Amino acid sequence: MKSLKGLFSFIVPLTAMLITFAIFLFTTKVVDDYKLKISNDYSIVVVSNLPLEKENLNKFAGIKVKNIVTLEKENIISNMKDNLSPKSIKLLIKRLPHFYKIHLEEYPTTSQLKQIKREINQIENVKKVEIFSKNHNQIYLLLLLIQKILIIMFLVVLIYAVIIISKQIKIWFYEHQERITIMKFHGASILYSAGSVIKQAIMAALISFVIVAILLVILNENLSIIFPLELQSVVDIKLSLNEELVKIFILSLFISISTILGVLFKYKLKND
Amino acid sequence: MITAKEIYLSYDKNRFIIKKGNLHIRDKEFIFIGGNSGSGKSTLIKSLYGDIGLKHGELFVDGHKMKDISDSDLRVLRRDIGIIFQDYKLINEWTIEENIMLPLKINGYSNDISKKQALNLLSHVKLAHRKGFKPNQLSGGEQQRVAVARALAHNPKIIIADEPTGNLDDYSAEVVWNLLRGANEQLGITVVVVTHRVPKNFGIKFRQLSIEDGIIYEVS
Repeated sequence: MKSLKGLFSFIVPLTAMLITFAIFLFTTKVVDDYKLKISNDYSIVVVSNLPLEKENLNKFAGIKVKNIVTLEKENIISNMKDNLSPKSIKLLIKRLPHFYKIHLEEYPTTSQLKQIKREINQIENVKKVEIFSKNHNQIYLLLLLIQKILIIMFLVVLIYAVIIISKQIKIWFYEHQERITIMKFHGASILYSAGSVIKQAIMAALISFVIVAILLVILNENLSIIFPLELQSVVDIKLSLNEELVKIFILSLFISISTILGVLFKYKLKND
Repeated sequence: MITAKEIYLSYDKNRFIIKKGNLHIRDKEFIFIGGNSGSGKSTLIKSLYGDIGLKHGELFVDGHKMKDISDSDLRVLRRDIGIIFQDYKLINEWTIEENIMLPLKINGYSNDISKKQALNLLSHVKLAHRKGFKPNQLSGGEQQRVAVARALAHNPKIIIADEPTGNLDDYSAEVVWNLLRGANEQLGITVVVVTHRVPKNFGIKFRQLSIEDGIIYEVS
């Protein structure tokens, strides 16, 4: 009963932390998918006297340039072709500046687009910059806000979980104090002596992982029930189940083992 | 095997338990250490397995300099020592067989070899029929016999015993003395025993030391 209570004191904070982490991963996935979905809903067109290079444009407003597409001059003047002689067309093509369409690696917000326009305009030989974009700002910023809130929430829960887990490990050390001392008298290392505590902590970490994994599988099976269909048309609600489970498993073991090692180190300093 | 030169031992700064202690124990010797309660007998033997640090002087145990001994060296030394405590110090959650297997496992023996050796020793201490029992299911005398078996399990170079028969009835005390005598005589293990009562007609050669007011004297 006592050992079950101890196990419970370890599992509850760790599970809470893993659930927060799973929600954070889920939100990140939604935001990333949304970014991808709206990534082509803007255009940055640059008119320049001299050819533009990706390296020169690479960083504006903290957003990297993914590629630069050269717009063919023939296509630009195609509407006027019928009214011009071939000689004039040739001359016009020769005289026309270079036209480019710029794609960025990440979807920019409206203010970032304005800043990019300002900065590109300052480049020598750039004659004009035009930006065409659909406004996804509200939803996008809202998603970013939720993501940031979840990071903060995850960090807070993480700190609390580590504090509670380390307290439980200390209690286990106290309970196994005599056994650890006897083993040390026989020449065992602290890691060997604390083997039973380490086993208990790893078992609790695995139980926490299994609980969170079951919850995620249930969530994944019932996404359409939990989230309204209308929302699905705005953002893609889906989980990368395998990828998330691997990350949660690694985090569960990492937090448990690093907390044990921290407590062990303190214990060793105190008792040697 | 064990050499102490003018050692001072204490638990606090104000009072030395052992003062200017000199000691020389040769390989394969059997030593009894006597003295009144509180004279420092237990403190002295605790220093031999590094449970208490030296304040001054030099102490060598099996070639290890005990002052500022490193963790890893202390572990190596302790793996060559069998310790018998007055309060047995058995692990109550384990069976007596598992308790005897402990030093063997720490010394890297396989589970099978450890089990075989534990059973062999349990037969020696006449407790083979109780191998699955937990220590708290045994009497004090039986528990001490298990503790002696555990101290002998890994064939140590030195056995250190703190009042091993202090709480035992005559029969159990005799079993313990027989085991320690055998360890010294047949296996050549150096034995250092703290005791109030040196058994009469012990049957093998031994040396007796006494501690009074923190000073170590040679008795015989």
